[in-house]
Amino acid sequence: MLLCAILVPLQMRADDSGLILNAGASHKIKKGLNVDIEAEFRSRNDFRTADRVSLGAGISYKLLPWLKASGGYDLLIDHNRETITYQDDDVSYNNWRPSYWGLRHRFNVTLTGSYKVRRVELSLRERWQYTYRPSKVINNFDFDEGEWEDHEVRGKGKNVLRSRLQAEWDIPKCKFDPFASVEFHTTDVLEKTRFIVGVEHTMKKTHNFKLFYRYQRVNGHGSDDEPNIHLLGLGYTYKF
Amino acid sequence: MRKIFCYSLVLALFGMSLASCQNDDTDMDDIIAQYQVEPQAVELDFSELAEAPDVPVTDEADSAYNDYVENSPWNKVIDIAFDGENATVTGSVPGVAVQRNGAHLTIMNISGPVKFVISGKTTNGSLKFYGDKRFQVLLSGADITNPTGAAINNQGSKTMYVVLADGTVNRLKDGTTYAMVDEEDQKAALFSEGQVIFSGKGTLNVTAVGRGGIRSDDYIRIRPGVKIYVNSSALDGLRANDGIIVDGGVVNIETTGAGAKGVRSGGVMTVNGGRLIALSAGDTRTGIDDDGLMDTTACAALYCDTLLTVNAGVLKFRATGDGGKGLNSKGDVNFRGGTLLAVATGTRKVKKPKGVKLDGSLAIRGGYFYSYSKRSDPLELGGKLEVATGYSTWDMGPKAITIAF
Repeated sequence: MLLCAILVPLQMRADDSGLILNAGASHKIKKGLNVDIEAEFRSRNDFRTADRVSLGAGISYKLLPWLKASGGYDLLIDHNRETITYQDDDVSYNNWRPSYWGLRHRFNVTLTGSYKVRRVELSLRERWQYTYRPSKVINNFDFDEGEWEDHEVRGKGKNVLRSRLQAEWDIPKCKFDPFASVEFHTTDVLEKTRFIVGVEHTMKKTHNFKLFYRYQRVNGHGSDDEPNIHLLGLGYTYKF
Repeated sequence: MRKIFCYSLVLALFGMSLASCQNDDTDMDDIIAQYQVEPQAVELDFSELAEAPDVPVTDEADSAYNDYVENSPWNKVIDIAFDGENATVTGSVPGVAVQRNGAHLTIMNISGPVKFVISGKTTNGSLKFYGDKRFQVLLSGADITNPTGAAINNQGSKTMYVVLADGTVNRLKDGTTYAMVDEEDQKAALFSEGQVIFSGKGTLNVTAVGRGGIRSDDYIRIRPGVKIYVNSSALDGLRANDGIIVDGGVVNIETTGAGAKGVRSGGVMTVNGGRLIALSAGDTRTGIDDDGLMDTTACAALYCDTLLTVNAGVLKFRATGDGGKGLNSKGDVNFRGGTLLAVATGTRKVKKPKGVKLDGSLAIRGGYFYSYSKRSDPLELGGKLEVATGYSTWDMGPKAITIAF
């Protein structure tokens, strides 16, 4: 799987590749009620460019043995990609907005249902998330004017429904639990799909590690010109 | 072994994250530098210009023969001296009638070549000529302001030789409003229905606040030695319906009116020498045409309705108003030598400012050609660009173009 994660990006040069690193902590307040915090880093441009740093906090409660509800907030610090626009001749430059760092605020409410079939746990997670990007004034080079000018990136909000179907295997006498999932991001259309495979390992019920590969396919409908991307991820959660 | 692998993997991934510090922007530095290039300076220049001797045409068969004041007899002379609200007329010539109303003189000439020597100052006077005979206006320290029209107005269709007496400084100024006469034009502070030929080694300063600065409904020729400065806050600075010939001289023109042109030639314009500098600061003029549609007219430092040929000389044009062009022509430009700088630094709210905009073609066969536009294309051609072999520089940047031999 790791080999695939490394080789596939090399073979598909049109797609981007990057890294996800996250670390968090989860605290059990009482039976079925947990709070957690998490920090995450992402890269892009074949691992060469920072893409995002985020900090998040959430709370979850097990409503039923098979149903969990959760909610959370994330502060996203995005390294937005550059944009270049062209004149009507499609050759001459019109505007260039270099990459810039910007904030976003994300809130989510989630319901997760799970069902165990022998040693395979199937789960369906439905998450509604609302992300708000505050307005920001950035530098923009206007090729017609031949000068830098202030450009306001307007604030906007966005609602997304994320639907994830996941299978996780509990292999006897194996300390690594493989999992696989597919997730759909939908606004009024399907914007992107994530395919994930990985393994999970828990040490002494306190230290949880995840290593995964994610392929994110963008359907080109309002996804801010993101390219398809292969991501290699490593996560750590301290549970107490 | 497994621990070592795990630790190595974690370290490798964190190492990769730390290495993610490279920017993935397109390298635009060199490209932006081309777009941020500053234009070459174009400013009025009143300094002396070393010019080759002005040799009059002596061949009567030459079409330019009659453009040379030296080729006519000037033994008939009338002196006119302005003094405030009055003017003194000295001398009489059969066939020449002078009517005086204060310092406003109306002269009918049916005599033939007559030289009128003009001097003195008036703040409320003018000269108006009638008659189909060529004549000479020798400006010898004249300072004429007409608050109600043109300072000099030639209603005859023959040549008016405007000779600037050596070393003199002469001033003409029109008024903000023109008192019109039926069936007569007066389109500028110095206006002529016929040809206007400038010569001499004096200076003529023209201030236009009501209409144009200098205008002929025929053609204008400017000979070496002449120094002309036109400042027009209303219409065009220097304009001729049937063409302009610049053989030499130092001509500086400033216009600030909306839609005004520094120099406008309705016929073929030929530059054989001298230094012509025109600065246009007006914005695009907007209005409603006869069909009720929006009509826009951009400014230009030089505007030609047809062919422009440059054989020699220094031409510098700068437009700083909205949509203003350095050089705008409906025809071709044939650039054979000399220096031509056309700079546009205006905004592009209504029209696009261009260094050079031609509906026709541009042929460059010598000299130094430079065009710049801060906010649009430096060169727009309806036809083709032809550059002769042997050039030393051919630099086509997004904001500036230089072609030199």
